[in-house]
Amino acid sequence: MLKERSNHAFAYLYDNYSSALYTIILQIVPDQELASDVLQEAFVNIWRKIDSYDQSKGKLFTWLLNVTRNVSIDTVRSKGFQNSQKNQELPETVFVDNSGYVQQDVDKIGLRKVVENLKKEHRSLIDLAYFKGYTHEEIAEIEGLPLGTVKTRIRTALIQLREHLK
Amino acid sequence: MNLEEYISSGIVESYVLGLASEEEVQEFEELSAEYPEMMAVRRAFELLLEKHALANAVSPPADGKLRFLEAIQTIPSNNQSKIVNMENNGTPMRKSNGSRFVAAASVILLAGCAWFAYHSYSQNQELKNSNAALQAKLNSDDSILNQIASEQNAAKEHAVNVVNMVGTQPASHSEANVFWDSTSQNVYMVVKNMPKLPNDKQYQLWALIDGKPKDLGVFDVSDQKFIIKMKNTQKADAFAITIEHKGGSPSPTLEKMQSMGKTKEPI
Repeated sequence: MLKERSNHAFAYLYDNYSSALYTIILQIVPDQELASDVLQEAFVNIWRKIDSYDQSKGKLFTWLLNVTRNVSIDTVRSKGFQNSQKNQELPETVFVDNSGYVQQDVDKIGLRKVVENLKKEHRSLIDLAYFKGYTHEEIAEIEGLPLGTVKTRIRTALIQLREHLK
Repeated sequence: MNLEEYISSGIVESYVLGLASEEEVQEFEELSAEYPEMMAVRRAFELLLEKHALANAVSPPADGKLRFLEAIQTIPSNNQSKIVNMENNGTPMRKSNGSRFVAAASVILLAGCAWFAYHSYSQNQELKNSNAALQAKLNSDDSILNQIASEQNAAKEHAVNVVNMVGTQPASHSEANVFWDSTSQNVYMVVKNMPKLPNDKQYQLWALIDGKPKDLGVFDVSDQKFIIKMKNTQKADAFAITIEHKGGSPSPTLEKMQSMGKTKEPI
């Protein structure tokens, strides 16, 4: 039904997953208005790319989550977004994190809430890798750590993340 | 590293969350295809993630669903096409009625030009076609005229004998004339009414001289030819036409004789 791009099927998909996907977007793109635009883009991408979803490689939600995460990270990394963030005045409810981005306090929602339970050194690596989309190599450079250490710590962080999800 | 260690190394979580490198993804998928227990671990983590995500979800603005469903109506099913968002920035569209009028006028003008161009083009094509048809007609009329002229010239020659070929029994309706100029020895056939022959047959004209036939060549009956130049002969008591195999025969097949006509004594 989805692969035939039936509107009915996509309406159902939207009803069931839009909230969960909007939540992951908010953790990457904190601005609510922009996040709802990203949600639109993510769903259009899902609609376009549904043919490339391969059931043998994972559950549908996993695929949806990854498509949405990629769209969100692309948005944050686009020049337009970065410029608009620089020109914005800082409202009182936001704080500037160590990378210079203006960010709303989204630590209380979704996966970030779980990440908050991790050790600080793990937390920042998950933030860079999962929510900001940096490669292990880029993280090694940012953090001034050997690549091997970055890999090991991220793996360890992920194992702990799973434990906290339970 | 054994399988158990591999599975508990964090690769499953890394793969599912999209943090694994290309090589890791490839290795993971190959091993998953081989070991069903890996698939089970993967699915368990996926379920955990999905449950958590659904349980901790924040609702998006309510108008999103309608916007999405409207958006996919307007996208062609072609997967390659891109969506370009036309930014409006909230400024009112009706900035100037003048520019709208100009826009509308240019659209109408463009449509007019297109129609005019198309119209001129098709008219030009029509003229070209009818011109070609006229040229062809003129050429064929010209050649007919030339044939008629030479036919008449042949008939006007002073020493020309016009021999009326009379149809014989097998072809009593056959009508033809042989024009024989006894001075120049030219022989012309003018076919008036003779049946068309199968492709492997031809008519053959003979001159009878002292009771012996002389081959004057073969001819076909076609709509185009008015006058056919045959072989010359110095003498002829009579002419005869027979049906022969294509290319002609050395001697006439007399039972197939179509018509015959006696010459008058030259004046």
